[in-house]
Amino acid sequence: MSKNKYHIIIPFLLPAVVLYAVFVMFPYGKAIYISLTKWRGLTPNPEFIGLENFQKLLGDDLFWNALSHNLIYLIFIPAITLSIALYLAFLLTHGKARFSRFYRVTFFFPQVMSLVAIGVLWSFVYHPTIGILSSIAGLLGAKEPIAWLGNPDVALIAVGAVVVWQAVGFYMVLFIAGMESIPVSYYEAATIDGASRWDLFWRITLPMLWDTIRTAMVFLAIGAIDMFAITQTMTEGGPNRSTDVLATYVYDRAFLKSNFGYATAVAVAMFVLAFLLSLLTMRATQRESLEY
Amino acid sequence: MRKGISRRRFLKSSAALAAAAAGSHLLTPFAFAQDGLPFEVGPEAMNPLGLEAGKKVEGIFFEGGFGRSYIDNAADLFRALHPDNEMTVEGIQRVQEVLQPRFIGGNPPDVIDNSGAGNIPMDALVADDQLADLAPLMNAASLDTPGKTFAETLFPGSQATGVFDGKQLLLNIAFTVSGVWYSQSLFADNGWEYPQTWDDMLALSETIKTSGISPWTYQGKYPQYMVFGVFMPLVYKVGGIETLKALDNLEDGAWTSEPVLQAANMIYQLAANDYILPGTEGLTHTESQAEWLQGHAAFIPCGTWLENEMRDLTPEGFDMVIAPVPGPTADTYSSILAWPGEPYIVPKNAANVAGGMEFMRCMLSKANAQFFAKEISAIMPVFGGSEGIELSSALQSALSAAESAGDGLFNYFWKDWYSALGDGTRDAMGQLLTKRSTPEQFLETIQAVADEVKADEDIPKYTHS
Repeated sequence: MSKNKYHIIIPFLLPAVVLYAVFVMFPYGKAIYISLTKWRGLTPNPEFIGLENFQKLLGDDLFWNALSHNLIYLIFIPAITLSIALYLAFLLTHGKARFSRFYRVTFFFPQVMSLVAIGVLWSFVYHPTIGILSSIAGLLGAKEPIAWLGNPDVALIAVGAVVVWQAVGFYMVLFIAGMESIPVSYYEAATIDGASRWDLFWRITLPMLWDTIRTAMVFLAIGAIDMFAITQTMTEGGPNRSTDVLATYVYDRAFLKSNFGYATAVAVAMFVLAFLLSLLTMRATQRESLEY
Repeated sequence: MRKGISRRRFLKSSAALAAAAAGSHLLTPFAFAQDGLPFEVGPEAMNPLGLEAGKKVEGIFFEGGFGRSYIDNAADLFRALHPDNEMTVEGIQRVQEVLQPRFIGGNPPDVIDNSGAGNIPMDALVADDQLADLAPLMNAASLDTPGKTFAETLFPGSQATGVFDGKQLLLNIAFTVSGVWYSQSLFADNGWEYPQTWDDMLALSETIKTSGISPWTYQGKYPQYMVFGVFMPLVYKVGGIETLKALDNLEDGAWTSEPVLQAANMIYQLAANDYILPGTEGLTHTESQAEWLQGHAAFIPCGTWLENEMRDLTPEGFDMVIAPVPGPTADTYSSILAWPGEPYIVPKNAANVAGGMEFMRCMLSKANAQFFAKEISAIMPVFGGSEGIELSSALQSALSAAESAGDGLFNYFWKDWYSALGDGTRDAMGQLLTKRSTPEQFLETIQAVADEVKADEDIPKYTHS
């Protein structure tokens, strides 16, 4: 049997391997090849130029500008989203909040809407004359309408806040599920020993939830490297490129400037970044998972 | 149609054509070829480009603000002229996404309207030698202006942006006038009069501001409207065509030169004196135009597409009109920025290059120009294109502004040639109008971008002479 096992395994594996090679591996390889060429996207024969695009990339201020915004998102979005989500989840599982089911559904709601719809919706929330935020600011005494998305100092925060708003509900539900599977007896024992709410959260909930949090961090980090849909619908990277991220920069170079070779080089840099990041997050947060 | 008939009769009335086109594109043109006022096609104008009988023509067109009725109208003319040739019309958006694979595959369609957001950048098409030289078409007999060549029926200079290294590679089918818009009725009600100089413009803005209306707004997130709408006209009016040429030719220090700085200082006054509607920078182009239509601001810069774009939101009796940007002195008042737009191309590798060109002869015919003016309120750069048409206040004001400008019709090219400079001026203008930079910083920022463009060997360079 063991001699012939490959006769059975190979035909079963082959379709999957072929599909994966054609639809995943080949495009990756092709993209890396295109990043080494000068290609305007109109002729079938890109001109090979080696690493010139990557060399240009290092000296490109707009690339570093976009990357810096991704890094800002990367630092703040996961931290803020996870903190709020954990807080809400803890409240809804342990806080005996009234209408907790209602809150769960409400907080989760943004997750079922498409990102583009959210971008358009929030553009109205941020609208300087008819937007609700400006109206509130007006009630609070602001003399002039605030152009949230028109102000380069504020726009990045405004866009980031929308992503946090959109993501919090999903991670809250994820954490609630995790928290509810932690045996109640642990909490009871700790409470008898005189532990406060704070202790319960730090010493029982958080460690038991670590696996879930780690996964959430990877998801959020990868999301922070992307940010395309929400940025493109809300600001197109403006004003004055203050919300440009790598993905919108790739779009700009490829589809607006017809500079596909260079754009692909930026995309490859983005891929390397996301790949390293997930490796790093997995390593840094690796810890023996608890069994209970 | 029988063989041997040397002249074919066409319907002149474009309205009837439109009705027929709206009814059915499959309707044979001969059903209405005999009534109404016909235009006649001379034997020399029947098939000057040598279109092969029976060979299909495939047209793919950007369908944007102008819609597609004028394209169908041109296609109906083509079908009437060449009943043996099938002509297909397909309307699309995002031309690059749709047509890029066909260019790569070497089988692009025969004629393309390469316009709108997501078009294929012309510099890329030119640099990769993808476009047919339209010289045969330019020298061919015109369809419905007897005794003239096709080129002679077009406004002089209207096709200059399509000439690359002496070859006509694209044709602009719309003629856009750009300036400052206001509501005639609002001005009449308040006794305001459109100013003749920039100083008067600032004085009137002060008056308007005290009346409780914001004097100005612009297309917020897209500050480039202020670049072409106000700033470049000011540059021209202060420095003349030599200054525009210096900018187009990327001359060293052109952006920081004295006339450009003076123009920057002039436009900056709008921001410095708070003449701009608060919150403008957070609006999109249509949102700011809507604010203007609601009477929250008195002036807005735009091109002649504004009327059609905002038709549904325009209040009754608003009477929008366009006027030139006032210059430093009254004698610089009348000059106005005008440029040809909505570029059409015939790909070099198309299966039926002659067919694509023949379609363009129908597209830029007098009959189709009249249809364009009547149905779409827009101007084709074709002589006689507004004959016998009743025009709206907006179109009327644009035409008379263009006429009274005479030699003062001007245009500049860096926006078409160097897209990086378009981005640079857009971003810098946003900063200037929100008082985040001074006129000096504004111009230094742009000069730096211009220097980069000049130094980049990958960007093909052109000369404005």
